[in-house]
Amino acid sequence: MMPRILAALGMIACIFGMGFLIMGPVSSANPAPDPVYVKECSACHIAYPSQFLPKRSWDHILGSLDKHFGENATLPPKSLASIKTYLDGHAADSNGSNSRIMRDVAASQTPARITEMPFWTHIHGRLLARHAFDAPKVKSVSNCTACHRGAASGQFGDED
Amino acid sequence: MNMRLAAAGVLAVMIPALAYAGAAQKPVLDAYAAQAKAEQASFAGFSAERGKAFFLAKHDASAETPSCTTCHTNDPTKPGQTRAGKDLAPMAVSKTPDRFTDAEKVEKWFTRNCQSVIGRACTAQEKGDFITFMASL
Repeated sequence: MMPRILAALGMIACIFGMGFLIMGPVSSANPAPDPVYVKECSACHIAYPSQFLPKRSWDHILGSLDKHFGENATLPPKSLASIKTYLDGHAADSNGSNSRIMRDVAASQTPARITEMPFWTHIHGRLLARHAFDAPKVKSVSNCTACHRGAASGQFGDED
Repeated sequence: MNMRLAAAGVLAVMIPALAYAGAAQKPVLDAYAAQAKAEQASFAGFSAERGKAFFLAKHDASAETPSCTTCHTNDPTKPGQTRAGKDLAPMAVSKTPDRFTDAEKVEKWFTRNCQSVIGRACTAQEKGDFITFMASL
């Protein structure tokens, strides 16, 4: 009786453990992001998790806010400095490198957007091929919330 | 309770409330009026009609955002949507009463969106006309 209960408990523990291994670094992306970053960078889209891009990509974005994917998104200098400190400190390659997010990113590359990151195209490749992001309800590859309901709070484990 | 008395009571409260529609926007508008006067001595006040034409106008500065209506739609009493798919509260003050009450926020968005849509800064006249239009809806 006991060995079977133990075995069952062991299996449950393994399944949970594997769940964390697979979903971990992405589904619980940065639970408490900087409030200035969230306030200033979620007016037009969600405040994207800082660890989805390397530092050099964030720096490039912050240095070209007057030409931010077709719009002017310039910030007052104080907010800009505060946001830069946050993003530089919590990027994919801050404090060592997040191997899952930085996979296949060449050192010579500076991805301009999250949807150019190899981890992203690998996950969403089939959807791209089916033009799923052109659907009116989705509208844009930048619209994570269309399928990831918890995206605004950094949850990407579920999809609708 | 006398129905006519009740109706009169409701009206008595409503009329001043209606008169105050746009009162919260007054400080921001007054500041733009002062600026407009400084920019143009012939400044003669703001116009909702001019603001409407300004809002609906189409420009050549950007393929992505040719008009204010690109994100805010033709009807400011309805929600808008950013190009990334995020909902925007209606611009009409009657629907979103805190619109145009925070001077810093108003300036931030005029600075950005005028550059994006028109390719230049907006004048104080244009800003005041725009807000006057949105407060009239």
